Amino acid sequence: MKHQDENLSLLLDDDSEADVTAVLDEVVADVNLQYRMRRYQIIGEALRNELPQTIDTDFHHGVMAKIRQQSPNLGAHDKQADQVNDRGIVVPLLARTWFRPFAGLAVAASVAVVTVALWQPLQQQGGLPNDGLASVDQQKIEQLAGQQVVGSAVPVSSRVQSGTRWKLEQESPVLQRKLNAYLVNHTEYSSSIQGLIPQARVAGFDAE
Amino acid sequence: MGTNLLDAELVKRVQAGDTAAFDVLVQKYQHKVINLVGRFVSDHAECQDIAQDAFIKSFRAINSFRGDSQFYTWLYRIAANTAKNYLASRARKSPGYTVDVEDAEHFEGESRLKVFDNPENLLLTEEIKATVFAAIGKLPEDLKSAITLREIDGLSYEEIAEVMDCPIGTVRSRIFRARDVIDKELRPLLE
Repeated sequence: MKHQDENLSLLLDDDSEADVTAVLDEVVADVNLQYRMRRYQIIGEALRNELPQTIDTDFHHGVMAKIRQQSPNLGAHDKQADQVNDRGIVVPLLARTWFRPFAGLAVAASVAVVTVALWQPLQQQGGLPNDGLASVDQQKIEQLAGQQVVGSAVPVSSRVQSGTRWKLEQESPVLQRKLNAYLVNHTEYSSSIQGLIPQARVAGFDAE
Repeated sequence: MGTNLLDAELVKRVQAGDTAAFDVLVQKYQHKVINLVGRFVSDHAECQDIAQDAFIKSFRAINSFRGDSQFYTWLYRIAANTAKNYLASRARKSPGYTVDVEDAEHFEGESRLKVFDNPENLLLTEEIKATVFAAIGKLPEDLKSAITLREIDGLSYEEIAEVMDCPIGTVRSRIFRARDVIDKELRPLLE
């Protein structure tokens, strides 16, 4: 059987003769063997001129102390440990667990904002029917239109319905025809979303 | 230099929860990582902090290492990214430390410089180099050739056996004996 230190030398050089498992069992358990291994390492680094400017002999103690301090309950075998992506960037455990639900919420909120932003211009253009979405004011107007005012011969509803178009039809049919023709001819210039009938076309065709 | 078997076994142990195996990996690669970080950051104290951070990150992420690349390649990528992130965050920060005159005596930066950049630490590196080269110079020719071909030229044991025209067992023995002689000279410096 080879001497312990010779095995260590073989192990460092990745020689096939080295019994990796057996030697490592000894190295991990014996601090003196670890120091010897480090000195063997330093010999090679000194010969290749790869030693750093200054050598801190306690560097590894500092690393291990910080590891124990920062994550006393986190064994590296823990499946909840950090991960490294394809570009060598460490993705912390917190980022992978806590950020996921927030990312989902952020996407949902964005979709909601876009939907509301699109909905409002459509309503302003009157391009969408108001089924069940009529405003409170509109409902009040309709209520008022159905009421009879005591002592008055003229129903309120007729007043509400007599808008500009009714007056034009009654007072100037020629002007009404011209207006309808104008609306129909200029329907393509009206600003409306494709697939929805523009207000001008509705008004014009309605009167034809 | 082939270190696949050793690294693979150490990583496997760390992944199984053996923290002491990670200590061996740190000792093995600390100088290489510090040198790598030193290409990004000139201040040695900062360099040590970043290297330490890189090792801690790699420990916390080691379960994601699946052995597709060599361990040291994976570790170097983490160290390089840690150094780049450090530089980016330092660039975002304004002027840096502001320390009151009264507090200057207890300023942490000062103590870090004391630890790492003192003349003793600088001298140690020079002493190590001098000791190693002096010990090599005193070695018998066959041992000197074997260790030089291995450490400087990076030849495998088989290649060295061919170059030196001797059995591979002799190469193993010569390289170990050379290391052993140098180690006896080096040991007092590092204890």
